[in-house]
Parts: sequence; C-alpha cells; structure tokens
Amino acid sequence: MTLLERDREAPSAWKGSLPVTSRYTYGLAGERFFRALKDEGKILASYCPKCDHTYVPAVNFCERCLSELTEWQDAGLVGVLHTYTLLFVDFEGQPLDEPELIGFISFGDGGIIHKLDANPDELEIGMPMKAVLKPQKERSGSILDIRCFQPVNK
Amino acid sequence: MGMRKVAVIGAGMTKFVRRALETPKELSWEAAKMALDSCELTMDDVDGVCFGTAPDAFDGVHMNGEYCSDGAGAWNKPFMRCFVGGGTGVFVPIQGWYHVASGLFDVVLVVAEEKMSSYYPHAQAAFLTIFDHTTERPLKPNLLWIFALEMNRYMTTYGIRKEDIARVSVQHKRNAANHPCALLGEANITVEDVLNSEVLAWPVQRFDVSPVSDGAVALVLAAEHVAKRLTDKPVWIEGVGWHLDTAYWTNRDLAYPRYVEYAAKMAYDMAGIKEPRKEIHIAEPYDPFDYKALHHLEGLQLAERGKAIELYLSGAAAPDGDLPICPSGGLLGVGNPIAAAGLMKVAELFWQLRSEAGARQVPGQPRRGLAQAWGDLMQVGTVIVMGR
Ligand SMILES: [Zn+2]
Repeated sequence: MTLLERDREAPSAWKGSLPVTSRYTYGLAGERFFRALKDEGKILASYCPKCDHTYVPAVNFCERCLSELTEWQDAGLVGVLHTYTLLFVDFEGQPLDEPELIGFISFGDGGIIHKLDANPDELEIGMPMKAVLKPQKERSGSILDIRCFQPVNK
Repeated sequence: MGMRKVAVIGAGMTKFVRRALETPKELSWEAAKMALDSCELTMDDVDGVCFGTAPDAFDGVHMNGEYCSDGAGAWNKPFMRCFVGGGTGVFVPIQGWYHVASGLFDVVLVVAEEKMSSYYPHAQAAFLTIFDHTTERPLKPNLLWIFALEMNRYMTTYGIRKEDIARVSVQHKRNAANHPCALLGEANITVEDVLNSEVLAWPVQRFDVSPVSDGAVALVLAAEHVAKRLTDKPVWIEGVGWHLDTAYWTNRDLAYPRYVEYAAKMAYDMAGIKEPRKEIHIAEPYDPFDYKALHHLEGLQLAERGKAIELYLSGAAAPDGDLPICPSGGLLGVGNPIAAAGLMKVAELFWQLRSEAGARQVPGQPRRGLAQAWGDLMQVGTVIVMGR
C-alpha cells in the first residue's frame, strides 16, 4: 500500500491547474542574512535584549515585543541536533530512490531545518552538527548555499 | 462579561471518503441540510452562517469560502469564513459561538468542508506552499517531515516507545469501526499492523497517519431562549479558547504544545473547570498522527508531560474507560478532511452528550466533553468545552 494508491471505484475526474507564479523578495532581514551567507559564509542570528530571545535565521523584528532588532551576531556554523527524520517519500508522496536524512539544527532559541550527511545509526539528538557550505563561487544567496549539516567529528 | 449562553441543537455529517463525487459546495450542502433537518429548522430560522475550510489549494478554488457559500446556506445572510489551517474545524464553532453569545444573532449555522482529493497527485504537496519561501521552501519540505521531526523529539524527550504510540492508532481505528461515516474503521487492527506499515518518514509510518479525505460537517447553534424552545436536550458551549505560538517553527518547544495549554486554560477558565482530568468525561484531542493525540492530551492538562500514553496502556482511553479518548474514531479512523475533521469532533461531543452516538456511545452518560484542533503553521490551538 503506498501513499499514492488510487481507488479504481472512485468517481471520474479531470485535471486542471491554478496558474500561479510568484516573484518573491528576500525582505529586509533576508537581504542581509543571505548576503552574509553568500559573501562571508556566515549564519547570522538576531537578538532581542528586551525578551532575551535569539532568532536564527535572523529577522529584523521581534515577534514578542515588535522591537526592531539591531543586534545581529555571527551564530557560527555549529549547532545542536534537536531532532531528525529519515524520509522515504518526497513532498508529493512518491517513494525516494534513496532515503534522505533531514534534521533540525538548533542555534540558541532558533534553528535551521536542513539535509544531513550522516549515517542514521550514528545520529544522536543533542550532538553538535556543522554546516557544510558550498564553495563561495557556487553560492547564490539561497538556503541551499548550505549543502548540508554533518556531525562535527566526521 | 455579559455573554449569552449558547447551545448546539443540531448536527449533520457526510461520509468521509477518499474521493467524493460531490463538489465542495455539494458536500457543504449535504451537511448543512442534515444539521437543519436534525433540529427541524429551515433557512428562514437562521440569522447568520459561519464557514470553515482550510487551504484553498485542497479544493483547488481560490477564495473557497465564497465558492462554497451557497452550499453552506449563506444566500441572503451575513456570512463569514474562518481559516486557521487544521485548527479551523474547532475554530468555526467558536466563531459561531461569539456571533450568538454577543447577542448579534439567535441562530447560526456552522459548516466545515474539505475536499482534499482534488489536489494532484497528493495533498501533501499543497503543504509545500505554506512554508517560508526563502528559508524553507527550497528544501521541499512537507508536513510528514515536520511531524516526523516533532514525533522523534517527543519520543526521545520522554523515552516513549513506538510500539506504545501505535496503541493510539489501534484504539482510534477500532473506535471508528462503529462510526457510520468513517473511512478507516478497522475492528481488528493490531499494533503489529501499524508497526509493519510502510515507513514514510521515520518514525512516522503509514498507519501512524490519518488519511486525506473528503467530507463536510455542520452544526446549528442557538441562543438559550431559542434552544430551550426547540429541544429538551441542548448541549451547551461552556468554554472556548484559542492561542498562537511562535510563527517560527524552529523556535517552538517540540516536545510540548504550549499553544494547546494556553487555549485549554482559556476554555477551562470560562467553563469554571479547575481539575480537567476529573471534570472532563470524554475528550476528542486532535489526532492527525497518533503521537499527536498524546502530545495534545498533555497540553490539555489531561495527562502529565510524557505520560499520556498511560491512558491508553491502562485502558482509561477506551470507550468504556474513565476518560474515553476519541470515541468517534478520530482523524486516524474517521478520516481527515481538515476543517470538517475538527468539526466532526465537536459533533461527536454533541451526539455523545445526548446519548445519540449509536454503537459507539460511551457508557455512563458523560456530562462534559472537550474537543481540540491544531493547525495554522502548526502553532495554533483551538479548544471547545461542551456540557449538558
Ligand atoms: Zn522582543
């Protein structure tokens, strides 16, 4: 039984689409965050002194008090494995050729969800994980400029 | 606060199916008509209409509320659609409640609908577009990821075994075998069946998840003076609550749903409930995934953190236990047409509290029940407490 299993008895249907294409901007914070990632290979955090709360990826306002966040910091490339999953299907429910590891790497109060390069058996929640960046020339200002995260001791 | 008492006086529900022939507006109409007929009212008696449906992408129609409005009975009426993702099904009766409690209307028709089979090839892909377009979407995330990450964190934090969590799915699917509208009732399903089902995103397996489905549910709400005239079995809305956690998924405590706790506290305060575990007699926590029922029971203060599984292991959660959980069969058993699934839980409380739940009626004439849903970008909690 697969996720995409169809019922032969189902009523007849036809296919149509909603033709929607969007043109997104990075935003005020995104512009700065992704430039730092692309040009300097840094993951930036922003900090709210009033709420003592850190945002990663950095944002330009605090959702708790609506203050503008002007304290931006280098969060470093090493975070902590907060949780992970081993995926067997893609986002449309199609089986993947190779299972894929996805992890949530926490940086202080915030974090980044990304692909992991690791042996699933060696993963332990709480272990330090390091971002592996693409070479500077290949970076385009995308979250995919981070190729993946891998255990620090790998 | 000067609020009027509000009762549920009628309910209707379509079958939950994998792909309905009916259009979304036809599904809405079927449920609305059944709800009106159940309390012998007509549209002439209805002052306003509240409608709930989750992402437009499922039905494949932008502004789906307007598209479905005729089926929901909105012609020539004040009409409002609400949308808080998966939380919608429990938020839409809350919206109906304040329409009546405020004194604005005496009778409100509440309808929730979802037709997930329209999305092709699979509704999971619709969820890709709810994530941040810059920081998350390039990784092509889906909800299975998010749930799998959260389930792993929950299991690891409290040391809960997967074979125990599977008991939740087994209990709910067995309960659903007695629901005439259920898609996935399975009287004989076992823990082994769940553990042997296809792995989608470890630790989530096929039978840990509720199925995408099509369906609609409707309720009729009435002010006290109208309710007392129309029925001798009104079910009162005693408390409502809703609450939002951080917009950033990665800033949340994945092991514990604070947004549910705050929503529940709001509802308990309104209902005058001090000890939920003693004062709530049946509970319909939101269960799109089996671990999620446990997670939510803890947020609802019906179990201590990491301990909700004991309700299932001890038999307390069974239909004949001292706190029946999801006697309807829940999303895992009845099906999960998002907004309709949440409202199905509220309809279940209505039928159970009136002793009209047929083969799945829990013993002991429960006096008070709770339904809860969860959604938006996975950070909203919606709670309703009802009693007779
Ligand atoms: Zn702040």
